[in-house]
Amino acid sequence: MMKQIIDKWGKSIGIYLFLMILFPFVMPDEYYRSVGIIIGLQAIVTIGLCLVMGLAGQISLGQAAFWGIGAYTSAVLTTKYGLPPFIGLIAAAIVPGLFAFILGRAIAGLQGYYLAMATLAFGYIVQIGITEWESVTGGANGMISIPQMTFFGGSELSMYFLIWGVVTCVLLFSLNLLNSRVGRAFRAIHKSEIAATSMGIDVRKFKLNAFVVSGMFAGISGGLYAHYMGILDPQPFGLHESIKFLTMVVIGGMTSIWGALIGTILIGFISEALVLLSEVVPGLQGDVDTIVFGAILVLIVMFMPEGLVPRIRAAFEKGQAKKAKAMAEEAQRKQQVERKAAT
Amino acid sequence: MTELLQYVANGLVSGGIYAIVAVGFITIYNVSKVINLAQGEFLMLGGMVTVALIGMNLPYGLAALLAILMVTLIGVLMQKYVIAYVKKANPISLIILTIGISTLIRGIASFIWGKDAFALEPITSNEPISIGGVMIAQQSIWILAAVLIILFLLWYLMDKTILGKKINACSVNPMAARLMGISPTKMSMLAFAISGATGAIAGIVIAPLSVTSYDVGVLLGIKGFSAAILGGLGNPLGAAVAAFLLGIVESLGAGYISSGMKDAIAFLVLIGMLLIKPSGIFGERSVGKGGL
Repeated sequence: MMKQIIDKWGKSIGIYLFLMILFPFVMPDEYYRSVGIIIGLQAIVTIGLCLVMGLAGQISLGQAAFWGIGAYTSAVLTTKYGLPPFIGLIAAAIVPGLFAFILGRAIAGLQGYYLAMATLAFGYIVQIGITEWESVTGGANGMISIPQMTFFGGSELSMYFLIWGVVTCVLLFSLNLLNSRVGRAFRAIHKSEIAATSMGIDVRKFKLNAFVVSGMFAGISGGLYAHYMGILDPQPFGLHESIKFLTMVVIGGMTSIWGALIGTILIGFISEALVLLSEVVPGLQGDVDTIVFGAILVLIVMFMPEGLVPRIRAAFEKGQAKKAKAMAEEAQRKQQVERKAAT
Repeated sequence: MTELLQYVANGLVSGGIYAIVAVGFITIYNVSKVINLAQGEFLMLGGMVTVALIGMNLPYGLAALLAILMVTLIGVLMQKYVIAYVKKANPISLIILTIGISTLIRGIASFIWGKDAFALEPITSNEPISIGGVMIAQQSIWILAAVLIILFLLWYLMDKTILGKKINACSVNPMAARLMGISPTKMSMLAFAISGATGAIAGIVIAPLSVTSYDVGVLLGIKGFSAAILGGLGNPLGAAVAAFLLGIVESLGAGYISSGMKDAIAFLVLIGMLLIKPSGIFGERSVGKGGL
């Protein structure tokens, strides 16, 4: 299983690992490391969302809700009941997974707009629920002094490697899924549900599985987020964040796991740059990033529906083919010249 | 008893607004098979632009009229330059597209007007009137009047005029309509114009009662869509009835359970409905195939 993945994506994985390990050392500033950590947390969510959108061909506009459920599950268990963060994290995967299962079971027969709206509504219910359930979640004021992870001393650098370690696991798991029989089933569903059904694929079951896995990924990321931040409030778990996740997947290319990862890194840095920009430029009020995300979504669907990564790959492959062709022609010409010289 | 009636009266007013949003969704959906998730943003723009124009010392009526025209134009431009461009896109792309447009509009609004909430002066006095012990804001009566007039005009347009028949023809069979010399693209543009205009009017009449800000569109949009689904997507009358029901259920929930949970109640109704009968109370058509 591992061998297959390495055969297929070995080069990409090598580049990924190299850059991932290099990053915190070329960016010795704590600030950039924290940006790297947040992007890693988001990547865990978006890789899961990519499984739902790109592979199962479904849309979820409530991914931030699963993220929030995970964050609050782990935070409540560790803060109120004194459990170790490790146990909290396991619960942070299971509880959102259960929510995804129940919601997914309920709406597995839905498609398109219906699923989009149901997940959007679910996102709102969760955010309202977190805000209203004051006795447990602290309501709008949120929770404080959530225990930090003590992973190799708990420094920013060790957190970075912990979180990107999880990203790597999630990435390899998803690539394996993509490469397996399950992945082929997913792609068949994406192309045509009817054809997939007639080939004996249980479409509902596959869509549900994708949904549950994506919920669990988002939950783990949420739990890590809670322990990394140490504080929580309901604000980051709403529609704005869900749309940000959506933008990340769409810009990179919905059907590609690598696309989701690269899209996340790209949008992560763009939003960070916008935050810095709004601090420098006076009068930049409101959510400038909202404008950017909206514009990206519209432009990508209009002009590059397949997304950046598949487009770049296609261009690269075209370039390679051209190069190969030129080399072949060159060799042929040389041969002809040699032959002429011989006669 | 008075309490109950009071909640019902409140519910009718918000239900009326959801009805306009729902009918806007359906008008566009019927013609172009697109669910315009930016529908709620039309309401937000209607209110916000009117507030802004009044702030520039324009008289109330003129400001409202200009706001309606502007939102109508935005609807038309959206159809012409974005929706028509990706005609053959799959449903998931169309969802992303309209979500993108709504996000973009919201972002631009927050950029222009900031995150503050604004209130509009009521059309007539602020003084509520009492009907059998039930207190009703005068603005609520204006809202209900506007809702009923809009619903009547839309029904008249769709059922009694040639233009309405053309629109219906496109929704039934665009190819046949085209053969008869009706341009589906133009009809689709008209549908976006209608939904822009009605949305803007709704946004203006509710702005005095509940404050308006850059992000009021999202909630109104989802609730309008919930009503459209409850009533059966594609069935304007059913949607209007469902919208009033939704408003009343929500108002009762807010009154008897918890006001903080008001919005959650509406969504629970939506998810429950999708579970039991996704085709809606009154509809059998087009279940879950959005965009196809």
